[in-house]
Amino acid sequence: MNHKSRDMKSIHKITVTVASILVVLITIVACTSTKEVYTPVLEKEVADSDQEFKIEKSGAQLWGEVCNRCHIAPSPSDYNDTDWETISLHMRVRANLTEKESKKIEEFLKSAN
Amino acid sequence: MKKLILSLFVFVFGYQLYGQTYNTFEPSKTQFMLRGYGHTGFEYMDSNDEAESTFLGLTYAPIFLYKHSDRLMFEAELEFKLEGNELEIGLEYADVMYVLNKNITVRAGKFLLPFGTFMERLHPAWINRLPNAPLGYGHDGIAPSSGIGVELRGAFDLGGPRLNYSIYSTNGPRLNDGSEEPEEAGILQFENFEDNNLAKAYGGRIGILPFSDSSAELGFSAYSTSGTGEEDSQYEDVGAFLFALDFSYVKPISPLKGIVDIKAQYNNSNVDTATFIEVHEDGDAEEYSFDNQSNSFYAQLSYRPTMVESDFMKKLEFVGRYSDFNAPEGAEWEEASVQYAFGLNYWLSWRSVIKLSYQTTETEGGHGADGITNTDGLFIHWAIGF
Repeated sequence: MNHKSRDMKSIHKITVTVASILVVLITIVACTSTKEVYTPVLEKEVADSDQEFKIEKSGAQLWGEVCNRCHIAPSPSDYNDTDWETISLHMRVRANLTEKESKKIEEFLKSAN
Repeated sequence: MKKLILSLFVFVFGYQLYGQTYNTFEPSKTQFMLRGYGHTGFEYMDSNDEAESTFLGLTYAPIFLYKHSDRLMFEAELEFKLEGNELEIGLEYADVMYVLNKNITVRAGKFLLPFGTFMERLHPAWINRLPNAPLGYGHDGIAPSSGIGVELRGAFDLGGPRLNYSIYSTNGPRLNDGSEEPEEAGILQFENFEDNNLAKAYGGRIGILPFSDSSAELGFSAYSTSGTGEEDSQYEDVGAFLFALDFSYVKPISPLKGIVDIKAQYNNSNVDTATFIEVHEDGDAEEYSFDNQSNSFYAQLSYRPTMVESDFMKKLEFVGRYSDFNAPEGAEWEEASVQYAFGLNYWLSWRSVIKLSYQTTETEGGHGADGITNTDGLFIHWAIGF
């Protein structure tokens, strides 16, 4: 076995170890998160949230920012509410979006179609 | 008999009429949806003064989405392509996914690998800003596009910045040992439907979006396996390590009156050195080996003047892309290629685009070829997503 082959074996072991540690860490962090599901933020609450440190982004804002990362943001009128629910779940996984991003964009698309 | 036919007619059409009039069309819990994309076009290629041109048959890629519940979904993409006077059918991906919680989704089956972002997110014809992929992707490319296995993925909101991740294990690549295709000895083949050994590939990607407007994303991907050859063969323990760095920046810029989109990805493939056999024309066999390292890179800049007043100009997009690909010195497929691509797109809608592109490629070597080959190409493509 030459030096390069030994190096590759070491790199593979490191990769597997790092991947295993990441799986454990992500599982711990994800499972100890207190907020189980995303709850929609009402527009009024956002408007009245002067005391809040950060103003929540609207679904329309996220639609413009997130979708455009890969493709032109879709027209809400091209699909009905049921279709948008299916597409939303598909895109959440495909583009690795957060639950909040995908839910807010879905709510916006369903409200604007 | 007439009464029977009349009764059946009244029953069938009466039922349809009643259903259309009084059906509330309540959506069912489970949903099936057919989406996808297709593209066609014309290509003119001039390679070392040998010209050829062809209209391209339509490539049709239907995507089947079956949403079983809010957490469970099946997705599959087929690809029908007319190539070389034959209809090629491929299964791009077919996987089942389950959302375990807001941060973890598990996928199993054949899925697009998050090795960088091009193959997973940007390659569909209605998304890709140019008619073809950069150098280093596709057939004989070094970036894996899909794999069969299991994956965990998800994203975290870090209160402004966001982090997304993916970790997977797949059958891994198969090393071409040159027994059937001597000119491709040492190439990793990623379409591995059945594993050829016990070694699995492990990999993943971490992406970070540092700004709250999601304008920028930096990603690092790794892919590693301890064995790529057939079990009990001399290549069984030939390992491989690949990594990729990717970058994306998409932002509307008011002074430029449009949206600037920058994409880049660097791929590196490092395979253990192995000994292959070259059979000469006179029948003599000779052993040879080489340092099996390859890399490729692309950077793409596109601009859409979405904030100008002219409706026509708003639909235009200007694209430029640089890509290169370097295959190992000493391999039968030794190659050093550089490509420049320029494009002008016209967006008919958010998912339908007509692309006009000019590309010039300089290739040194490549699958037994000697010397430098210059290839100029003119492409007109029409892509539609649905």
